Amino acid sequence: MTEMKIMMIDRTLWVSALKALPIEQLLSFTTELSKDWAIRSKSIPQSGLGMLRLNDSAFEEAFYLGEFPLASAWLEIETSDGLIAEGAAQVMDDRIEAAEALALCDAVLSAQLPGWEQLNKMLDQGMEIRESASQNRKHMLASTKVDFSLLDEVAPDAMEGKNAES
Amino acid sequence: MLNLDPIWMPDAQQIHFRLLLDAMARPGKCHSLTIAPEEGPAVLTVLATLLDAEVLLADPHTLLRSDDWHMLQVASAVVEQADYVICDGSRAPNFTPKLGTLPSPEQSATLILVVDELGQGDASLRLTGPGIADTESLLIKGLDKQWLEMREDWVCSFPLGVDLILLDGRQITALPRTTKVEML
Repeated sequence: MTEMKIMMIDRTLWVSALKALPIEQLLSFTTELSKDWAIRSKSIPQSGLGMLRLNDSAFEEAFYLGEFPLASAWLEIETSDGLIAEGAAQVMDDRIEAAEALALCDAVLSAQLPGWEQLNKMLDQGMEIRESASQNRKHMLASTKVDFSLLDEVAPDAMEGKNAES
Repeated sequence: MLNLDPIWMPDAQQIHFRLLLDAMARPGKCHSLTIAPEEGPAVLTVLATLLDAEVLLADPHTLLRSDDWHMLQVASAVVEQADYVICDGSRAPNFTPKLGTLPSPEQSATLILVVDELGQGDASLRLTGPGIADTESLLIKGLDKQWLEMREDWVCSFPLGVDLILLDGRQITALPRTTKVEML
């Protein structure tokens, strides 16, 4: 049953779903989970700023809209039973530990290492939080929508008023 | 959570960068590497200090493992276009590295040669030039003599040329393009 569920959530959404959970929860879980494992870096874990590049609509010239925090990690795990798996994460966060923890979760889920069932439940929780946040955003966006068709109804009256004044 | 090899840490890289500066400033003088990589070739210590994603590296003798490339995060290039080239010093060169241009002589290659041993060996060099008070002697084991012959051609049109960094497992030394090398 759980195996079916993990297949339903695309791997590209794992980091996003887990990021929706409190990071302290994730860090304490991964620290406990990996205390007897050997973890090696496949690339140097880094944090810094990403640049958002866009083209302006008038001259099609590139410009940087702004910066965002970015952390990345790619690691290899060897469990105490000798199981080996790789995981990676690139996340909008300025903490390397967050990227490392998410990369570890990625490895655990992809290879179904010990602890993956618990992580899968966290994944579901994260997806729910993510869905709820998405719905909230949609709701907020909908409430700011302007119905321009109403202007058509108002416009003739306004015009009449103007004519009367003149 | 992760324990990185110290060669990838900024503190070690600053120490090694200082060491490389000293090596370039005092050609032919051997400097001991303070921190060796826990895994992989010793040349990684120098590469980790010098390289980033903005430069191109060539490894024609395949001295690096694929994992090393991931850690270095450097782009690979053909040897004629690379900013840095690492080679096995015991194998004769069969390429011409970037020598720079007159307006931009700094756009030349730095060659990193891995030799068997520095301070001992059959190749005996007498060095003169900037950074050397009188003369400096350098013994090298495991360096094909063609490297020095080719270097003469590469550096003859100063300021064009290449800079050489030589290292064994424990020490480094440098031969900048300004150094005159005489084989004894």
